Amino acid sequence: MPVVSPIFAACWLPGLTLAEPVHFSLVEKLLLAALIAASGWLFWRRFGVIARRILAARKDADFHLFPLGRRCWDFFWEVLCQAKVIRERPLPGLAHAFVFWSFLAFALVTANHVATGFGVGFLDPGGFFGRLYFLIAAIFALACAVSIAGLFVRRFVVRPVWLAHKDKTVSWESGVIAGLIFLLMATYLGAYFVPDGSLAVRLLWWAHTLTLLSFLPLVPHTKHLHLILSPVTVFLSRGGFSEIPPLADDDDFGLVTGKDVTQLTALQVYSCVECGRCTEHCPAANTGKELNPREIILGLRGYLNEFGPASEESLLGRWNSQQAAFQCTTCGSCEFQCPVGIEHLPVIVGLRRGAVNTGEWEDEHGGKLFLALERSGNALGMAHSEREKFMAREELPMFDGSQEYCLWLGCMGGYDPKGREIIRSFVEVMRYLGTSYGVMRREKCTGDPARRLGNDLVFQQLAEANLETLAQNKVKKIVSICPHCVRTISEDWKAYGTPPEIEHHSEFLARHQARLPKSAASQTGQTGQTVFHDPCYLGRYRNVYEEPRAIVRAHGDLVEAERSRERSFCCGAGGGLAFLGEEQGARVSETRVEQLVATGATTIGAACPFCNTMFRDALASRGEGAPQLLDIAQIAAAALPTSVKESDSLNMQEERREEK
Amino acid sequence: MNTVLVFLEAKSGEPTRISLEALAAGAQMAAATGAELAVAMVGAATGAGFEMLGAARQVFAIEDPLLSEYTADGFTASYAQLIEQVKPEFVVLPHTYQVRDFAPRLATRLGRVLISDVTGIAMDAGKVTLTRQLFQGKLNGHYHAVAHAPTLLSVQAGAFRAEAATVTQASVTTFTPNLDAASIRTKPGEPFRAAAQTVDLASAPLLVSVGRGIKDEANLPLVKELAEALGAELAASRPICDAGWLPMERQVGSSGQTVAPKLYLAVGISGAIQHLVGMKGSQCVVAINKDENAPIFEIADYGIVGDLFEVVPALTAAVRKAKG
Amino acid sequence: MKIIVAIKQVPERDARIRIDSAGKWIALDEIEFRMNESDAYALEEALLLKEAHGGEVVVLSAGPERVGQTIREALAKGADRGIHIASDKLGEYDALGVARLMAAAIADEQADLILTGLQSDDLGLGQTGVILAELLGIPHSSLILKIEKTEAGIRVLRELEDGWFQHIEMTTPALLTIQSGNTRLRYATLMGIKKARSKELRVVEADAISVDAARCVSLDSVALPSRQKTTQMLTGTPAEAAAALVEKLQQEVRVL
Repeated sequence: MPVVSPIFAACWLPGLTLAEPVHFSLVEKLLLAALIAASGWLFWRRFGVIARRILAARKDADFHLFPLGRRCWDFFWEVLCQAKVIRERPLPGLAHAFVFWSFLAFALVTANHVATGFGVGFLDPGGFFGRLYFLIAAIFALACAVSIAGLFVRRFVVRPVWLAHKDKTVSWESGVIAGLIFLLMATYLGAYFVPDGSLAVRLLWWAHTLTLLSFLPLVPHTKHLHLILSPVTVFLSRGGFSEIPPLADDDDFGLVTGKDVTQLTALQVYSCVECGRCTEHCPAANTGKELNPREIILGLRGYLNEFGPASEESLLGRWNSQQAAFQCTTCGSCEFQCPVGIEHLPVIVGLRRGAVNTGEWEDEHGGKLFLALERSGNALGMAHSEREKFMAREELPMFDGSQEYCLWLGCMGGYDPKGREIIRSFVEVMRYLGTSYGVMRREKCTGDPARRLGNDLVFQQLAEANLETLAQNKVKKIVSICPHCVRTISEDWKAYGTPPEIEHHSEFLARHQARLPKSAASQTGQTGQTVFHDPCYLGRYRNVYEEPRAIVRAHGDLVEAERSRERSFCCGAGGGLAFLGEEQGARVSETRVEQLVATGATTIGAACPFCNTMFRDALASRGEGAPQLLDIAQIAAAALPTSVKESDSLNMQEERREEK
Repeated sequence: MNTVLVFLEAKSGEPTRISLEALAAGAQMAAATGAELAVAMVGAATGAGFEMLGAARQVFAIEDPLLSEYTADGFTASYAQLIEQVKPEFVVLPHTYQVRDFAPRLATRLGRVLISDVTGIAMDAGKVTLTRQLFQGKLNGHYHAVAHAPTLLSVQAGAFRAEAATVTQASVTTFTPNLDAASIRTKPGEPFRAAAQTVDLASAPLLVSVGRGIKDEANLPLVKELAEALGAELAASRPICDAGWLPMERQVGSSGQTVAPKLYLAVGISGAIQHLVGMKGSQCVVAINKDENAPIFEIADYGIVGDLFEVVPALTAAVRKAKG
Repeated sequence: MKIIVAIKQVPERDARIRIDSAGKWIALDEIEFRMNESDAYALEEALLLKEAHGGEVVVLSAGPERVGQTIREALAKGADRGIHIASDKLGEYDALGVARLMAAAIADEQADLILTGLQSDDLGLGQTGVILAELLGIPHSSLILKIEKTEAGIRVLRELEDGWFQHIEMTTPALLTIQSGNTRLRYATLMGIKKARSKELRVVEADAISVDAARCVSLDSVALPSRQKTTQMLTGTPAEAAAALVEKLQQEVRVL
């Protein structure tokens, strides 16, 4: 106990005793009571309104409190440990954590402080426990004072762009609040340096009390409302990442008016601390688009403040724009980064659902996409005879129930020339391994673009049709080269049935890595390094980071882009945007390619056919010197002995060896 | 005696090429069934166009001021009256936009059903089997008429070869239908062409589209010349428009225009899916690419593997030569 | 304005074509059905007219029970009610017979305008609408791209060949067949589908309509074309390949 024992020792130093006033007159007691009442009343006047607004919102139809284990863990990890706050911005995060932990430590100190005023103080500054506790609190107070001063300097001197509002100003209330916190800590620590029984003790006590009582009513009026709400928000979160709630009833079309805002959403909206982490990581906000996830949340808050949760005013209008809502790639960075538990995607997708399910959204490319999905069952509007021609040419066996895997081609694998190359490579690997697989003739789009764009009708039709086909074919396991297909089948389809087990080909390849040949750099002719781009729907959505890297490492040197793993920057294709025509501002794909090229890698490793197609275009404009683009299946297949035929599969070789 | 009556369509007084193809089909049927061939066309009997219809025994010039411009009501009534008079076994029409407009109405007035867009005629022991395409050409259907004469059919452009016109003097009979101005219920306006100043790829019948294979902006005139020779609009894939070599409005693909021309000539385009999505509705795709494995060849009707810098000038020259 | 839109349910455009055992039609198992494409444009035009001038859009379709689904789709997109001529043996009627059924089913409707698509994606006859106009004794125009309401009736834009167009003025009631592709189709929405549930769908049994069902023409058999679409590679020197291509463009594609 190297840290604790000096504190124990210090407890007995005569100078280190907290000075407290001993006797309060009746006038003082009455004044204190009056001030507490006034402060409490001012607090409730605002907080009550907000609380009522949240409670008046519609109930979340799908909300279940149980199981509690996950909720408790999130609360412990994200609230008590401040994990998300620290992870993304370590220094300011730690500073914030100290302020938070000091508040926790001060709970008892503050209670005793007020009790002392009424003559019922319960912590004796002279006693062992009192001395010890006050001293620990003092250490936190010191850390807190330093931290809050640092955060003040950061916000008002360094001024990171993410903290600024739309109009580029920084909130002055934050400065006032920081000052009050600093004053609280100073007035507490000061009591160690004034003689017992002096007038200074009394003045300090009152100064601390007044600071405390001015702080309280400010909380619900400012973003510091998160002090109260965000622990609740984190505890009550929906749980799944980017979890789009089911529509509650026949009149629920998504977020159309205030009446559609649920309690959880309202709670989250009022919890926003305006830290800007969401916006900092948003690919749309970073490429000059109107969308700014923080402003979406604050826009909804503005709406609730102006119209309230019973309003029939459209949610898209004064406070949020339709254009912004449809610029989201659903990459999930915002939701992943949010330290107070706001779930942005259900809000953004919810606004899209409201606009699409009612037919309000009119977009040439979007309309064409929906019609293509309705009429052709694939997002590209291609004839499925084209897909069948490809299956015949590649001699892909039909799934007949006897094989282990159903190979899900997806729209890209079935129709896109680049996607087909990925399928071809992956099939070579499966043939080499002797894995049995088959494809389905009547496979349709999983509905991913419809789901993310908020078209519940088309999504439901596609999900149900596919589930039926899978059931008819008795499919038990699916493997897919597309993270969007994987996510949509494994999570989103649950609303309409029980999807078979599915895995992404990176998971499959990593599991069979030991049986696959590794390639020496000389063998594949790869001399440079490979940078792996984490697809949003594989990383943040599925938590798969290591598997694709293992494949890259087996065949060359892996380098990391500045934004990688959980912080990976989107390619621009997600959320149906691959089909929506030209972008406002810079292209997300080109911004991402720039980041990847900056690593100096000669190969870009991808694991998603949508990323692949976006990068292909972006790399094309970079001319001859651009790095090559390969899917991990292509990287793995390049190391296979040439002319891998079905008859030469590993199993067959093994069988032959056994025969000998 | 049985008659095969062929209705022709005239443009500036001359029978159109497809009309002559219909005439050929009619002649074939007349020959096979031993029927007499009769021809009818709207216009003055003195018109030059009637000279080249010598192969027919009987030629009717349908003449009436109310037929100076096409109306479904006017044509239906006139044709029906002529059919009443001639009482043919078969009525043959060219399958044009105009015929599609009034012929079903004409057949109904006669209590018959038109067999439209016929691509093949087979005659066997007095039974005539007519073939037409179903499911956009993916299936052929064989039809025969159940009802009494006349059997009405329209023939598809290009399905029959127009015979060389033999100019022999035929007797041209003027047929004056009994028309009433009040029975014509539509008032057609002057035909016009769409304003051509803006680029409208979607409605262009011919497109020459250029891709990354062109390598440099300075090489674009090569493709422009080909487009001009063909009378085609110039289009491009995304990288060309991204580079600013051609305006964005000429971009074909998922983020640009969706087109469905009669001819889509892709020069130096490999065929990324974003591009294919925009032009997959084209009736005929020609691809010129140096990479024989380029995906564009998968959907092309005709392909030339070769260096576009050699093939395109050769093609431009060949087109100019063919057009005279 | 009261508008009737006649809609056909057809096998989806890219359906795999296999011939049934009798050799008379395609095998319909495994086939998915859709609203005929140009009919979807006819519906869109009708809805646009209703939105601009008010009135009612009535959807009319004939066929077996599954046709109800396509009518519902039209109702979901905004049509007000539907009429379903129910028959499992519609293939036994020719175009005139079907048009007679339709004329009888809408005899009491007194519509101002009847719209149909230009032609069906399966049979491709392009006749039913025009025949219906003749049976009803009303004028028609085909290949229509645009419809404007005028004081006397309507003014329509008709497509002619080779990039030419023409305006036609007509009195109402009239029948128009609509060309695909001139407007943007609206997508079906969840709200529309839910609203469609409460809209009226009148089912008329074809057998209960007394019309002359005797056929004039008969489809005896179907066959797959012998030549499937494949890529023809033109080889030789650039000049030879170019000459070969020009010949194809002249003789087969017919664009020169």
